[in-house]
Amino acid sequence: MKFSLNFIQDFIKVKVSAQKLSELLTMAGMEVESLKKSENDWIFDIEVTTNRYDWLSLVGIAKEVATVLGQKLDIKYPAKSKDIILNNQRIVINEYSSCPYYIGCGIKGVKIKKSESWLKERITNCGINSINNIVDITNYCMLKWGNPLHAFDWDKIEGDIYVRKADKGEDFLGIDSKKRELDRSNLVIADSKKIIAIAGVIGAKNTEVDENTKNIFLESAIFSPLVVRRSRRSVGINTESSYRFERMVSPLHLEHACQEAISLIKKMAYGVVSGKKRVGKKSTTNRKKIVISLNDLNIYLGANFSKKEVKNILKNLRFSIREVSSDKLEVQPEVERLDIVREVDIYEELCRIYGYDKIPSQIPFLTHNLANAEKGMYSFKLKISDFSALCGFREIMTYSLEKEEDSLLFNNEKLVKIINPLRTQEGSLRNCLLSGMIKCMRHNLNYSQNCLRLFEIADVYYQKGKGFVEMPVLILGIAGKEEDFFYLKQVVENICNFLRVKKFRYELNNSPKGFESALDVKIDGVNGGFLGKINEEAKQYFNVKENLFFAQLYLPILFKAKQKEKYLPFSVYPEVSRDISICLSKNIRFAEVEKVVKEENNNFSRLQIVSFYKGKEVPQDAKIFTLRIFYQSLQKTLTSQEVDVWHNNIREKLACKNGIELR
Amino acid sequence: MEEEFKNLKEEFYSDLQRLPCLAELEKLRVKYLGRKSAIAYLFSKMPGLSKDEKSIWGKNLNLFKQEVQKVLNIQNEKINSREEKLDVTFPSVPFKSGSQHILSSTSRKICSIFEKLGFLVTEGNEIEEEWYNFEALNIPLEHPSRDAFDTFYLNLSEKEKGKYLLRSHTSPSQIRVMQKAKPPLAVISPGRVYRPDEVDATHSFMFNQIEGFVVAEDVNFSHLKGVLLHFAQKFFSSDIRLRFRPHFFPFTEPSAEVDLSCIICGSSSNKVVRKKEKKCSVCKDKGWLEILGCGMIHPKVLTFCGINPKKYKGFAFGMGVERIAMLKYNIADIRLFYDNDLRFLEQFSL
Repeated sequence: MKFSLNFIQDFIKVKVSAQKLSELLTMAGMEVESLKKSENDWIFDIEVTTNRYDWLSLVGIAKEVATVLGQKLDIKYPAKSKDIILNNQRIVINEYSSCPYYIGCGIKGVKIKKSESWLKERITNCGINSINNIVDITNYCMLKWGNPLHAFDWDKIEGDIYVRKADKGEDFLGIDSKKRELDRSNLVIADSKKIIAIAGVIGAKNTEVDENTKNIFLESAIFSPLVVRRSRRSVGINTESSYRFERMVSPLHLEHACQEAISLIKKMAYGVVSGKKRVGKKSTTNRKKIVISLNDLNIYLGANFSKKEVKNILKNLRFSIREVSSDKLEVQPEVERLDIVREVDIYEELCRIYGYDKIPSQIPFLTHNLANAEKGMYSFKLKISDFSALCGFREIMTYSLEKEEDSLLFNNEKLVKIINPLRTQEGSLRNCLLSGMIKCMRHNLNYSQNCLRLFEIADVYYQKGKGFVEMPVLILGIAGKEEDFFYLKQVVENICNFLRVKKFRYELNNSPKGFESALDVKIDGVNGGFLGKINEEAKQYFNVKENLFFAQLYLPILFKAKQKEKYLPFSVYPEVSRDISICLSKNIRFAEVEKVVKEENNNFSRLQIVSFYKGKEVPQDAKIFTLRIFYQSLQKTLTSQEVDVWHNNIREKLACKNGIELR
Repeated sequence: MEEEFKNLKEEFYSDLQRLPCLAELEKLRVKYLGRKSAIAYLFSKMPGLSKDEKSIWGKNLNLFKQEVQKVLNIQNEKINSREEKLDVTFPSVPFKSGSQHILSSTSRKICSIFEKLGFLVTEGNEIEEEWYNFEALNIPLEHPSRDAFDTFYLNLSEKEKGKYLLRSHTSPSQIRVMQKAKPPLAVISPGRVYRPDEVDATHSFMFNQIEGFVVAEDVNFSHLKGVLLHFAQKFFSSDIRLRFRPHFFPFTEPSAEVDLSCIICGSSSNKVVRKKEKKCSVCKDKGWLEILGCGMIHPKVLTFCGINPKKYKGFAFGMGVERIAMLKYNIADIRLFYDNDLRFLEQFSL
């Protein structure tokens, strides 16, 4: 909200500079976002927090200025005049809960013209455009008192005035010349034939005050904040009026605003009041008394307020005080301060006027009742993140929201969708982390980065039965050559090893979505993730040419399977190795070889591919490689003879297999 | 025979004197060990000798042959080791090390400062029920204070705690912990949050927040100030100052916004100097940068969680990780975090 210093000076003689005032207000909670000089005036733009509806009026701001400066206010309230009852205009409220109180005032014979320069300056300095004398007067009174008013061209009102709900589909053309379709969520002001305003939001074109207007009907009313909020949201506008009604307007100043507008219209537009009519009931403005204890206050804030300081600040806030005991004060906030209902609200008032900066800073001794298990998954993720980085992977962070198709390309889990997305690109929560990473790889490949090794740890989401799953997942990805897949595979094994996930094995997965070949990672028999190479279709979808390899691991599964660190005895006897040269037909997998080797002997310790033979003699449909098999016993040194026997058994068994040829 | 053998030996050792490169050595090998070598010649004379002489000369010749082989091998190794000495000036083999994302590492650094003060890290869920995101935090339905928390709603069937949504702040994890555990509590809770904001240099529909809160019998506002000052001095620098400004949040009372003394143009003491120079691009010459919101937990919030506000008090604070990282590392555009350009990510490796 904008206000001008000259306007404030109408109520209080400000003795400090605009800059100083700006700083004082900011430090008391009325944040001045900008301060600008405009001819002989200063324009303050302040942030009004939603609890301070009273700052949406110049009178309210002047009160705050008086409080921070410790000065007296001089507000001239308009004199009450005797009302003439308005007889020839019926006003009917159908919705008392949405509009508890309505004052209508008929004024005849007004002369519409440009506003006088002082009026024009007041409102334009507060950010409102000048229209004509009548509209400017209503805006001036709104700025001053905080109560929005609306002037209708009385001659354009046909029959009675109703405050009612709009019917579904009723059309409305506002004074902003925009057409809108209304529904039951809109409270409207209507005459016997048509809607003449969306209550508290905007007037209709059909009853707008223009240069030919002679007679006006002035509305000052109280509308429910909730109703105005729903109404203005449903038609998608935000006006000075709705902004105030939404945050509540004070019934206290309603009469003042109305009365001042009438007298200004009489003076500046030569109007003659033909009568005033009040419908409904004003809410009572009695304020609850709150008892505060000085001791409690100082304990709560960790401060050392003296009773004198407290009383002084409360006096500056215009709160009334009664001493109950040496420690206790009974406080009654100023009438418009509806935000003050509890002790803590008064603590805040005292604290902010005293100055937050004057409260000391202390470090408490902290303790908590929580089991460290609460932290488990967090630490687990940090460890995995550190380990992945050590393996040469760089962490990325991608959006959890993405286009449906991007998720469904790899995973059929039912998506959790956004009901109110900004764009379809962010229409649903992802059920896997692949698309985000592929897009990131594409971006970096386009900038000729090579050797991409990336990881991300983030949640995936999908619907399951009647509920949903939100689960942290690790994704590792490499863009590169075929051998890179085996690096990735090694990293997956190392991660499981590092996390002490023991019951770990691979299972061939023949038809993963979007992948041309893949392995499932089984942990303790449960699906703990997978790794593989994405297929051509997926590559085309994302428009990438490089080979992309990914591994995804489901962290809760790993977390559950991890074992405590524990010493295990190791063999002190040497490892013995034997090599076999194998020609493996391409229609048979290495897994077959591995199976034979592992089954044969329980002194088997590990195997290793020593080299791939790449000479000319390699048949097109086969691979030739040297396999080294290691044997080791926990009990003794193995002799050459016994190893030879086992090794020959393996050779014989392999030789029997179709597609395996020993060389 | 004896004469010839003696000469041969002498010749060999004199040959060895003026050595050698590998090629020379090979010549020697041929000369002494080859099929037409002097040793071979002497061996060829063996059949003409007596039985005794045969045994003596056979032994001698064989010993000498072994000696030559040994000496040549040693020489060979010597030369080899001289010629194949590691040339350490060749370029290194490329290996790219990995790293944490700057937002992860920033979040981690922040959390660990609080952990050392006795806070425990717990993470909440990103999919939340409406009640936890709003009502439990004293943000009423259909209230203007909700405008700051526009929210993505989800197509999941509603439960007793209202519609499902993506949390718009990390504060719901505060409620979850308070409902589950009894005070004293000191918790720090990092995570992703979501708001339907159009993406620009300072807005993102997804960002990272860190929520912290303490509930105990004897905590107060000055503790809140102390804890946050400690954090700021550890994270930024020891001469940093904080400014607590009154503000409004529905879930705290009193509430404050916290400003950091500008890390670029520094303390307000050199205000006069600054005026003459260019405007500070970071704080726009205000001298202060807003970094977080905080306050004493509202008694209504404690009550919602079944904690007696007469007995226990609490303070809470929340900060945006992107904002803090942008200030600390002088990053002007929030989108850089989510572009994941390696040329950006590579700059932050700690």
